Amino acid sequence: MKFIASKKLSDNVTLRAVILWMLITLMLAMGLSLSAKRIDFGLTPDAWIATVMGSEAEFVDPLLFSDLLLGIHTDLFGLIITFILIASLYVRTSRTTSTKITLFAILLITLLSYPLGLLTSSVFGAIAVVIGLSSFILFHSIIIMMAMDLLIALIRRRL
Amino acid sequence: MNQRLLTILALGFGALVILQTVLGGWLFIHNIGISPHEITTYYADKSLHGLLEVLMPHILFIGIALMVVLHFLAFIEVMPQNTRTRFTHILFTLYFFDQLSVLPIMMGVEIFSILKLISFIGFEVTLAWLWIWMFKITLVTLRGGD
Repeated sequence: MKFIASKKLSDNVTLRAVILWMLITLMLAMGLSLSAKRIDFGLTPDAWIATVMGSEAEFVDPLLFSDLLLGIHTDLFGLIITFILIASLYVRTSRTTSTKITLFAILLITLLSYPLGLLTSSVFGAIAVVIGLSSFILFHSIIIMMAMDLLIALIRRRL
Repeated sequence: MNQRLLTILALGFGALVILQTVLGGWLFIHNIGISPHEITTYYADKSLHGLLEVLMPHILFIGIALMVVLHFLAFIEVMPQNTRTRFTHILFTLYFFDQLSVLPIMMGVEIFSILKLISFIGFEVTLAWLWIWMFKITLVTLRGGD
């Protein structure tokens, strides 16, 4: 995984194979992360709000703050590592600098909005939950798209 | 313009890492407490089996994650080789003290709660600094590609 030192990843067959499988693994992990979140929080914004803030009509208790904190901390650790891995590879692609910067900026904003949204739900209410979980989905969608882009570039030996 | 955007990106990433570090500290204080006495009380109630159930995945997976993060250091020439090696030893040592000090605390050796507190704070701060510094290097690489 010598992302920074190697001039061209495709020149080294072993390195290329390792990165290829790492990208597939990351995409799978991101897909599974989305599925797990769907099971935990539900599919619709109403279900997200009911899970985090509770719902008297559905007899659902609000999520314990310690559980919320633990979940966000664990999620964020994995997402930051995924972001670092994908960003350090994406820097090497032939995409324009402005495209790269825009993608990095969106990823950073969504990564910040996810924990802040959920943590401030007791202050700002349902809208914060919706922002937080929408950001989570957007981050995963973009990172999977970027990983796919990298995978194609690697297969075409352009990385 | 790009220079300005890169600075904003670096600041955004810095904010993200600081947020993650604060969350880690918050979680620690919320669940365990901040004083050595609270740490001792928390771990004294745990069974060896319960502690091992938490320790095993932490040691394995955070160890692998640290390896992934630290391997970048081997290829970044900006920092002298000796400093990079020392930095790796320090981070792993703090990590081991942080994780393993809970065992003597559980057995009643209270002095290790101070070691736990210092190594936890040291590990969080060092890792946060490393992440921010490496992202800065990535942005410098990006700027160099223009």
